[in-house]
Formats: sequence, C-alpha cells, structure tokens
Amino acid sequence: MPEPLSEPPSAERIVQLEGVRKDYRLGAVVVPALRALDLTISRGEFSAIAGPSGSGKTTLLNLIGCVDVATAGRVTVAGQETGQLSDRALTRLRLFQIGFIFQSFNLVPVLTALQNIEFPLLLQGGIGRAERHERVRALLARVGLGDHAEHRPGELSGGQRQRVAIARALVTRPALVLADEPTANLDSKTGGTIIELMQQLNEQDGTTFLFSTHDQQVIKHAHRVIRLVDGQIAA
Amino acid sequence: MSRLLLIAARNLLQHRGRTLMLGSAIALVTLLLVLLTSVSRGVQDTMLRAATTIATGHVNIAGFYKITSGQAAPVVTRYEPLVKWVRQEVPEARLVVDRLRGWGKLISPTASVQVGVRGVDIDAEPELARVLSIVQGDLRGLRRPNTALLFAKQAEKLAVRVGDTLTLSAPTVRGANNAVDVEVVAIARNLGLLSQFNIFAPKQTVREIYLLKRDTTGAIQLLLRDPSRAAGVAERLRAGLTRQGYRLLDAQAEPFWMKIPIVTREDWTGQKLDVTTWRDELAMLTWILTAFDTVTVVVVGILLVIIVIGVMNALWISIRERTREIGTLRAIGMGRGRVLLMFMLESGLLALGATTIGALLGVAGAHLLNAARIELSPGFAIFLMSDTLQLAVWPRAVVGAAALISGVITCFALYPAYRAARLRPVLALHDVG
Repeated sequence: MPEPLSEPPSAERIVQLEGVRKDYRLGAVVVPALRALDLTISRGEFSAIAGPSGSGKTTLLNLIGCVDVATAGRVTVAGQETGQLSDRALTRLRLFQIGFIFQSFNLVPVLTALQNIEFPLLLQGGIGRAERHERVRALLARVGLGDHAEHRPGELSGGQRQRVAIARALVTRPALVLADEPTANLDSKTGGTIIELMQQLNEQDGTTFLFSTHDQQVIKHAHRVIRLVDGQIAA
Repeated sequence: MSRLLLIAARNLLQHRGRTLMLGSAIALVTLLLVLLTSVSRGVQDTMLRAATTIATGHVNIAGFYKITSGQAAPVVTRYEPLVKWVRQEVPEARLVVDRLRGWGKLISPTASVQVGVRGVDIDAEPELARVLSIVQGDLRGLRRPNTALLFAKQAEKLAVRVGDTLTLSAPTVRGANNAVDVEVVAIARNLGLLSQFNIFAPKQTVREIYLLKRDTTGAIQLLLRDPSRAAGVAERLRAGLTRQGYRLLDAQAEPFWMKIPIVTREDWTGQKLDVTTWRDELAMLTWILTAFDTVTVVVVGILLVIIVIGVMNALWISIRERTREIGTLRAIGMGRGRVLLMFMLESGLLALGATTIGALLGVAGAHLLNAARIELSPGFAIFLMSDTLQLAVWPRAVVGAAALISGVITCFALYPAYRAARLRPVLALHDVG
C-alpha cells in the first residue's frame, strides 16, 4: 500500500485552485468555509480529502465539481475557469468532464441500474443505443453487477447501489471523478470493497479520483491525502 | 426525451394514491365539461330542428311590401324568379321552399287561441313529415284547401279532434278581418315553445284569407346541408341581392314580426327584402343556449381552478420530495431546460391520461343518458323544445374539452417546473427534505 503523499506528482493539472475562499451567509453572520486555499490535482491522481466534520471537505468538492461557485479566488477545472462560465457551460463541463459519486448514492429511484448508468450518455447525446448499452453492460460487469442490470435501486443493497453510482460516474469516461464520502453509508467491509474498486478503476483507466472521507481505513488507500482543518489545508 | 417520459410515467405510478386522486378530479371535470357541452349542443340541435320545421329556414329571404308608408305587409312579391335565383346562388342548400306567414285567431265552439299561421305546400316540404310526429290524422290532409295541422297542446285547449272544424280569423293589411273555416286534418306531438303558437295550413288557404296574389309569398326558406354556415350564406345573399337591384332592410337579429312596427314607421313604399338566419328569427330563444353555455363556463371554470390548485400543489410536493434528485441530475449534467421538461411531462402526462379517460366517460355518459330517454318537466320541455333530455356528442367539442383542460393544467404546471429548474444544484444536492 503506497504511503499518502503530501505533494502532487508532476503531471498535467486537471484541477487548480488559487486563493479560493468560500463564505456562507447565515442571516447577518458570514461563516467562512474555505479560506485562501491553493490546491492542484493532477491527472491520474487517487487522492483523498480528509478532515473532521465542518472542515470544508464537501464545500471543496462542490467547488471542484462546479455545482457551486467560490466567493473569491480562481477555480480551474479541465482548463476552464469556472467563475467565468455560464450555468449552461458549467452544466456541459460537469456532463463531459466530471463524474459524481455521492454518500447516499443518489440514484434515480424509478430507473433500473442500466437506465441510471445510461442516463449521462443520453444527456450527452450522439451515442447510439447499441453502443450505449454495450458500454453500460461492460461497466456493470466491471463493478460486479452484470446480473443486476434490470434491478431498480430499491431492489439493491447499499454496496450494490454505490457500485451503480460508480458505474454512472464513469460511463462518460470523465477526466475527473469526485466522490463525497462514498463509503460513509456502507459497512466497513463493503466500504473497503468500494474503495478498492475505485482504486482498481483508477489504476486500469487512469481516471482521476478525488474523494472526501474521514475514515482512516479509506484514507490509507489514497495516493495523496489533502487534510483540511477549518477551511484550510493543514501543513 | 423518452427517458424523461419514462421517469415522468414511473413517478406517476410510484405515487399511485396522489396520481389517482388528482387524475380522478381531472377526469371528473372533463366528464362534466363533455356532458354539459353535449347538453348545450343537444338543446341547440333540438331547437334548430324544431325551429326549422315550424318557424324558419336556416336562412330566410323575407321582407315587407308597403302600399303606403304607413302600411306594411310581411310578404315578398314576385317571388318565383327570386326562388330560381336563390337555387343557383346557394348550391349548398338542400331545400329551397316558400311559405306564407300570418297571424290570426283560431276559434272552436269552446275556446280560441292566437296562432301564427304557416302556409305550406306539403308536397314541397318532405322535411315536415320527417320531423313532425303525427299523433292523430294524416299530414297529407294539408293537400286539401281549408285544412289545418294543430299541435297536441292547441288541440287540447280548443277541445278538438281530427275531422272537427275551426274558424280561422285574421286581420288583413287593409284593417278588415277575414275568416275561413278549416278542418283539422292532423294533430302533431308538441315541439316545445314554438308549437304552442303555430299551426300549418295550405298556402292557398292563407293566400285567400289575406287576399294575396299568386306571385306573392311570405318567406323563402333555405335549409342548408351544413346549418353552421347559415351566417355566411346570409351575408352572401345580402350582397347578391343588392347586386341584383333589390332593396334590403338593414340586418337586424330579430324575428320578422318584431320588425313590423319599425318598418311601418319608416317612410318608404314598395318592396324591401330582409335576409335572416334561424338564430335571428329565434333571437328571443337563443338566450337558452347562452344561459347553458354561461353555466358551463362558470361551473367548469370553478372546477378547473380547484384542480389547477391541486395539480400545482402536487407538483410542489413532488419537487420538494425530489429536490435531491433534481440536484443529482443537475450535477451529472442535466440542463435546466430538461429539468423543466421532466416536470412538465409529468403533469402533461397526468392531464392527458385523465382528460382522455374523462372524455371517454363523458361520451359514454351522454349516450347512456340519451338511451335512458329522461323525461323533462313541462317547463323545461317548452324551453328545450323536446319531451326528453337530448344530448348531442360533438367530436370536436369532446377533443376540445380534453385539450382545453390538459392545456390549462400543463400551463399552470409551468411555474413549479420552472422553479424546480432554477434550483441551485448545490442547494438541491444537500437538501435534507
């Protein structure tokens, strides 16, 4: 098992944050979630964001995932500065460059596993049904759910749902996969399997994974650990 | 699009209770709208049938002849070339006939009634035999001079039967009263309000009582293949008659007898023609249709407001329940437009399904009510011109009702759907419900 790294390897940058600050306003009170944060993530990394609750892990992932915008500073993802992009452009950036894995799986409950995974491809458009299904079935097989294509999320266990979510995140072959506490809702054994699956996909395909966690068992799988304390990267 | 449709359909199925409740309400309003429009259409059809049998054609060319400026007779002189011209000018007419019209007193040994007298050539009007339901006697008896057809209510009031003789007394234009004895040759089933005040007699009898020449008639009546084109045909005839050199009265939506005092006051002599439609001639009765349509609009409007509030509320609940799903879909790259479309499809699908069911039930209900032949109370029967409730299902009205309700619901779903589409992904994703 490789030791967690503190510096990114010298490779092409997929994410760059410069002086990023994010404040939340609670009535008249301004609560800083991230303070003057600088961070670079290179292609092919398998990195963890660690830290206690409230340290800013999810906020950081939201900014990198283009679902939120920084109060100040510059966030660049796949070569595009997100603060300058329209909602439509941010949506396209998420669709074509980023895959999401959520703590609560967040699958569409009325769609089958196959349909859930296929959905981002339908949003992208331009891919024929046969190719879509081929790609989805290959991914289902890779995440060990080849026989569960027609099951709806309600008919799957937590671990199986998260595998479907991983397959959905990877189906568009994104440059970056973001996972927010991907094992938090799973038992430790299943959580371990999920993190190993992610690691395997990272090693085989070179997909960049950035996940938040506060589970030490999960952290030890990461090539690099970014520790956040009170909205800042700990030295 | 197909995947969004699938999500919409499955979400509706997943929340069966809510879908069923709202769907039933929408279907019920559609059913009601279809039934009410069928009643309105039925009344209109019945009225049209009765009116074009007794009182008017779909389009009429009538008019007034004034010997002096103070005397007006409701007649058309030298009508035969006019009938020939009308037949050429209006190919969409299935029948062009002329009738004499008058007003007189019908006197029996025990009673008398004021009636409008329709002078007809019974062989030239096959429509009469189809529409009048003869309960006693024979319509063909009107081929003989000095005969009359009465309606059941009049016969009852005058206490006469077929074969009895009555005296018909009528004032002429010159102010004298002429009288003639007429034999009752047929009694027909009542046809609502109009049958209370009208009888039929041969043309010759009416001509004699009013001392009219052979080339004079009361009105040329046109029955069209499509009665809805009456107004257009009337307009065309007005223009054509003017070109032919006829003088015309100004168009007024009133029956001919209401125009008599106005025309009498006017300072002109000779012949002036008047072109009217059945609606003009029955202007006093068309309020029934207006009242029905107003009630329909008000009732359906109120119910529509209620279900629109219900649908909007259900959509708000659905959006609230699915906020995190919206956040997820936005995060994985779904645009605002597609989120909006997803919710619009959901309400559109619900509205379309429910209105289709409601419309089909409405059509079935209308046929069942017709089959049941529900008898109307005497008051209603007079105004609706029928003894039984008659509903007429008009396919365009049924489709229109379903489309209207679907459209209104879908339009009002736009706002909640728009709000869902405008949710910020980060807030939607972390919604805790």
